[in-house]
Amino acid sequence: MFKISKILFSLIVMFLLVWQLPACYNFFMSTPVDTPFTLYSSIARDFASLQTDENKKMHYRDASGNEYTEEQFDSILPAFYYRQLVTDGRFPDTICGISVTPRQIQLANFTMRLSPLDLNKPKLGLWQMLETMSGRVDLELPDDAFRITSDGIEFVKMETNTVDVDKSQRFTKAMKQKGFEFPALSLSGNPTDRKEYDEGYAMLDAVKKLYHVKQTVGRPYVKAISLPEGLVPQHLFITEFPSRKWLCFLTDVEGYLWVVERESYAVKPTEIPSFNPSEESALIIGNMFDWTVKVNRAERECYYAISAKDYSLIDSLSYETPVHRMLGLTFTTSKDKFVKPRFK
Amino acid sequence: MIKAIFYKEWIKTRWYLLLAFVVSMGFAIYAMLRISRVCSLKGVDHLWVVMMQRDAIFVELLQYVPMILGLILAIVQFAPEMHHRSFKLTLHLPIRATKALASMLSFGMMVLLLTFLPALLLMWGYLQTILAPELYWHILLSVLPWYLAGVAAYLLACWVALEPTWGRRVSNLVIGILLLRMYFLAPAPEAYNEFLPLLVIVTLSYSLLSVLSLTRFRDGRQD
Repeated sequence: MFKISKILFSLIVMFLLVWQLPACYNFFMSTPVDTPFTLYSSIARDFASLQTDENKKMHYRDASGNEYTEEQFDSILPAFYYRQLVTDGRFPDTICGISVTPRQIQLANFTMRLSPLDLNKPKLGLWQMLETMSGRVDLELPDDAFRITSDGIEFVKMETNTVDVDKSQRFTKAMKQKGFEFPALSLSGNPTDRKEYDEGYAMLDAVKKLYHVKQTVGRPYVKAISLPEGLVPQHLFITEFPSRKWLCFLTDVEGYLWVVERESYAVKPTEIPSFNPSEESALIIGNMFDWTVKVNRAERECYYAISAKDYSLIDSLSYETPVHRMLGLTFTTSKDKFVKPRFK
Repeated sequence: MIKAIFYKEWIKTRWYLLLAFVVSMGFAIYAMLRISRVCSLKGVDHLWVVMMQRDAIFVELLQYVPMILGLILAIVQFAPEMHHRSFKLTLHLPIRATKALASMLSFGMMVLLLTFLPALLLMWGYLQTILAPELYWHILLSVLPWYLAGVAAYLLACWVALEPTWGRRVSNLVIGILLLRMYFLAPAPEAYNEFLPLLVIVTLSYSLLSVLSLTRFRDGRQD
């Protein structure tokens, strides 16, 4: 018994050294990597960035090395700085040969963050489906929540904690009629009343077919979305941007980003090089001319500019972000919300 | 003999156990009352929505309660005996020293579980009347590591309390504190789900550490 205890004690000491020493080293020795804020400019046809130097002076430049004043910088990124341009009376009549108004710019602008933290976390298994056409200006949260089982969709009345059998059967029937095979592998929605409109959920059924499911005037709206041949979706990201142009973005099993257009349900590929949304975070800042996509890869921050029209790749840029970390045992990471031992 | 040891431990700890039971149940009842108040003020819907949208579990005030209760139990059970050096009388009983120690630790773990279990049952019983299984298991699975920390705190504190020398006691204390940190790293509810089975085994293994202190005590190590 004494020997076993001694071995256990040694193991505990070793475990603590492998856990705590690298943690202390990384805590004290890590230095933040300062990469410039970068966006693609369709005016300059280049990436434009701003960075603060040691004297807290801002530097505005493009990837070719051209320096800009703050006002010039606003002008080469009119979609991002449209409010400043409007305030200064410098908002142009046309941008890239297209006649635009600030309102059009505002509607077309969007920011989307794809974070591994949102994918790698404990799933509660309950969601809410809002009424998309309530007849009121403001959205209202429903009085029920739903779960998806292997037999169908089940709505639970929150007040009484009982299943709404009638509604559950109506939705299950509608979904099965459209070929939905339960259970759902993945679903993405944004069940909040703090938004302009609601598009319900994008769902992947048990055989990875894509569906759009929402509640319209209390009735189920289910649409099977045909996918291009060979596309196997993995992660869904509902968009609900002010422009109402897209239903959702999705990444396939190989890590390529696709967009699903809202009106036509057309699924179109983007030319962004593949990335792993479970491991690498991405930030998309889009406007009516181009999207700047930032992907945080291992030791590299990659920027891709794609055309907002056909999602083709226009340009790319990357910054080295070297990480000086001591390998060791850790329980948490910035890529998931689980506590478990891992060596990294 | 084991029965006699159990009785001895009961005599030593009974008043503290009553207090621990009252505190454990008191905090659980208070947490449930707070939830009940939210329901009566804003409706059950609000509770569901906040849990679904904001990852709230409404029982955060229970976080350190089991750990503190486990820690104090070990002190109540072993500190007076170590202080008066009467622990050696236990070792003179006609039973193997490790068996006597195992009996004492088993008693502690048993009563600790009997203190924690009613609180968990109370929460389970109340929450299932107002919440869907997904939601009440979300809460219960989130609090499990905290109750496990109570058992870990008890076993580690026993190891520290039984250690006869102050120098070693301090180093054991530091190790114990670092090990206890492992139970409070959760960035989100249910974060420990995958790790929980292994954590249970690791926690139970801490009972073997007291054998080291016992051996040093028997060997006559002292400051």
